This record gives sequence, C-alpha cells and structure tokens, in this order.
Amino acid sequence: MITRELLMYRVVLENLQLLPLLPRFNLKSGFGELSVDEVCQAHGVNTDFFLEIANAYLDELYVAEEGLSLFSLDTMVTYISSTHAYYKEIALPSVEKKLHHLMKHSSLSKKEINLVTNFFNDYKKDFMEHLSQEEEHILPYVLELEKQAGFEKPDSAFIEKLKSYSIREFEQEHDRLETSLKHLSELIIKYLPPFDDLQLCHQVLNDLAVLMKDLVDHADMEDKVLIPRVAELEKILLSRASN
Amino acid sequence: MKTSGFILLIDSYLVRKGMIALLNRIQGARVLKEFGAGEPFLAYMESHPVDYIIIGQSEFKRQGDLFISKPKLLDKTILLEGPHKEGIIESAALHEVPASIHLMEDKETIIGKIRNLLDRDNKDPERSSMELSPRETTIVRLVSMGLTNRLIAEKLFLSAHTVMTHRKNINSKLGIKSVSGLIIYAIVNNIITIEEVSSPPSK
Repeated sequence: MITRELLMYRVVLENLQLLPLLPRFNLKSGFGELSVDEVCQAHGVNTDFFLEIANAYLDELYVAEEGLSLFSLDTMVTYISSTHAYYKEIALPSVEKKLHHLMKHSSLSKKEINLVTNFFNDYKKDFMEHLSQEEEHILPYVLELEKQAGFEKPDSAFIEKLKSYSIREFEQEHDRLETSLKHLSELIIKYLPPFDDLQLCHQVLNDLAVLMKDLVDHADMEDKVLIPRVAELEKILLSRASN
Repeated sequence: MKTSGFILLIDSYLVRKGMIALLNRIQGARVLKEFGAGEPFLAYMESHPVDYIIIGQSEFKRQGDLFISKPKLLDKTILLEGPHKEGIIESAALHEVPASIHLMEDKETIIGKIRNLLDRDNKDPERSSMELSPRETTIVRLVSMGLTNRLIAEKLFLSAHTVMTHRKNINSKLGIKSVSGLIIYAIVNNIITIEEVSSPPSK
C-alpha cells in the first residue's frame, strides 16, 4: 500500500501502472528525493485523495469507497474531468493510432479491416458522446447540488428541479464503456488471422487491456461512490426544503 | 454472463490472498471486499450486492451462531474448512451451506466447485435478465447479415414496430449502440461467423 511518506520516485518505479494516473493530477516525473506528500503539496494536489485513488488503482481489493466519501464532490468532479481529458486526448487516440497502423500493414481481407475500423470509429463516437453527456449535464449538476446544499436557503428553482429529477435516472442509463473493447480484443485474439507485426499487435491488446481496467475503475467510482453520495445529498436537500 | 459478488471472511492473510487469486481466475466471480478476523461485515452487506460469503473455519466457529440464525446468510455461505475439524463444523449447519471447500484441495477442484455453484445459480431465470432471448439473438444475427428492420420484420412475420422494440431492448441489455458493435458482439458470441457478416461499407 502506498503511504504519504514513501518516496514518490520509488512508488512509481515499483508500480509503473500508475503512470497513466500521474497526468490526471498534473504530476510529472523528475521527482528527485521528494516524498509522495511533498510532491502532492508542491503541485497543489490533496495528498489523501491522491493516495485513495492510487491505492484503489493498484489493488482491486483496496476498497476506496469509505475513504473517498471523505472528500468533497468538487474534488471528485475535478478528478473525473481530468480523467475524461486523459481518455479523450491520450488513451483513445493512442489505441486508435496503433490499431490503424496494425490494420494498414496487415494481410487481413478488406472486409475484416472494415469490420474493425468501422467498429472503432463508432465506438469512439459513442465514447465521446458518453463523456460529453457527463461533462455537460451530470458534473455541473453535481457541483450545483453541492453548492446549494451549502446554502442556508437553497435556490427554490433548483429545489423544484430536484423534485422531478434524480441522479438515479442517470445511473440507469449509465452504459459500461469497457464491454465493447473486450469484444474487440476477443475478436483479434480468437477470430482474426494472425498479424505480421506481432509486437504492434501485442501493444494494441495491452493498451486495450489497460484502458478497459481504467474504465472499470472509473465507472466503479462513479457508480459506487459518486452516485450514492449525490443521491444522499438530493434526499437531504429535499427533506430540508419540505420542513 | 452475470457477475457474482464475493466477500471473504478469513482470518489468515495468506489464505485470504490465495483465495482471491483463485477467484480472480474464475469468469463471473468478483471479489468485493475482504475481512480479517472479527472485522464487521454485516453493514457492508446491506449496501452492497453480495452473492457469496467465503468464510474460514475459525471465523465460522466464532460467528457460526449468527449464520445459523440467519438463513439468508447461510444460503450464501461457502465454508472453507481447515485441516482440523472443529466442533461447530460437524454440526448440522455444514449440511445447509451451498458449498464447502477444503483448504487442502487442489486448485482445479476448488475452481471447479465455485464454477459449478455459479453455473447453478446463473440458471435461475431471475438472474439472467441481461442475456438475450432467442428471438433477440435471431435479430442480432439478421442485423449482422446486413438486413434492414423492414426486411427483418418480413422475415420473422413481425411488425416493424416490434422489431424496433427488440432492437431497443438489445441495445440497452448489451449497452451497445452501433451496428458495428453488434456485429463484433455477434462474432465473439458465435451468433454469426465472419464469413456470414455482410460486407460493411468502408468509411
């Protein structure tokens, strides 16, 4: 388990899986002899929050649910937004580029290539829509809710809106983005003929696996931590308003 | 396939981690949380979808009365027996748990027992609501072959409206919105072969 007094460079060196996490906290390598806490403080990152996320990321059995509930929704929303940026600007384009290259230099039939490229293009479109839906509607709503809950007299228009909307509606429509990526990996491993560029093929599969795991963790955080807390706050605000 | 949630109540750290390593190899099994000696787990169960509890012999000895008094707990219990049988394990409770594993059993036996349990419980119709019905599977197949909703309706003697409803249900069950995504789903689930798929237009 990672703790605040450990040296950051050692933590990263021994857990290279953490690399995709660092840019989300705006942390860059070149840590020198600084501890986790010192690096976080120097970058204006809440150390406890970083530790919760990093530990949950490394160990599936580390249950962050209780720990994460200590942080403000605002902290979580900021993290979710930067994770989205990482998916959109780094993770997905990187897989796309490699996949495109793999297809271009393969001996697959035109039909097989089209199957994969059409799939990925559509997936990317759905993926982006999913993220923008959250960014444009859900995250601002969560922030507004937290803000209103802090007021002695919450805005009456907001309370009216609350009566007809709950975050639980979003939960019901919250699709899992990783499922289709798993199908793609399975297609490559099981059904398509072998690729000439084995190294690149392995990289694509590895990138897909890393992204899938990341998406699972991310959705778990939204479904198990964010949504229950938002729903709880909705309830509190509504019962306050009716008294 | 449905995912079943497991929690572990085992006092030995090494046994717990070993059990988790085994569970991670089983498709459809997901470890939700582990509890060491005497750690309270009931509150956790109230707010989380726990399907199975794997409990070590000494924890069962300590908390056995609680389990015996609550059939709902006992129904979910997989008992992990140690090398030395202890009093309570011999009691009637042992015959009421859905499965038991022995610490000295080999890897494949243990995995086999858990897989059988998951298969048995997955057959429960209530649990498989996310799987496609035979009709829906046929529609996925026809969509993958390039048929339009209108042609699918004609072929299956359905109204276009009914086909649309099926398509919507399929999308929400699978969480897949695009036709290209459905095609890949159909291939990896052996609903259709790559040869049978209609040639998709290149974009």
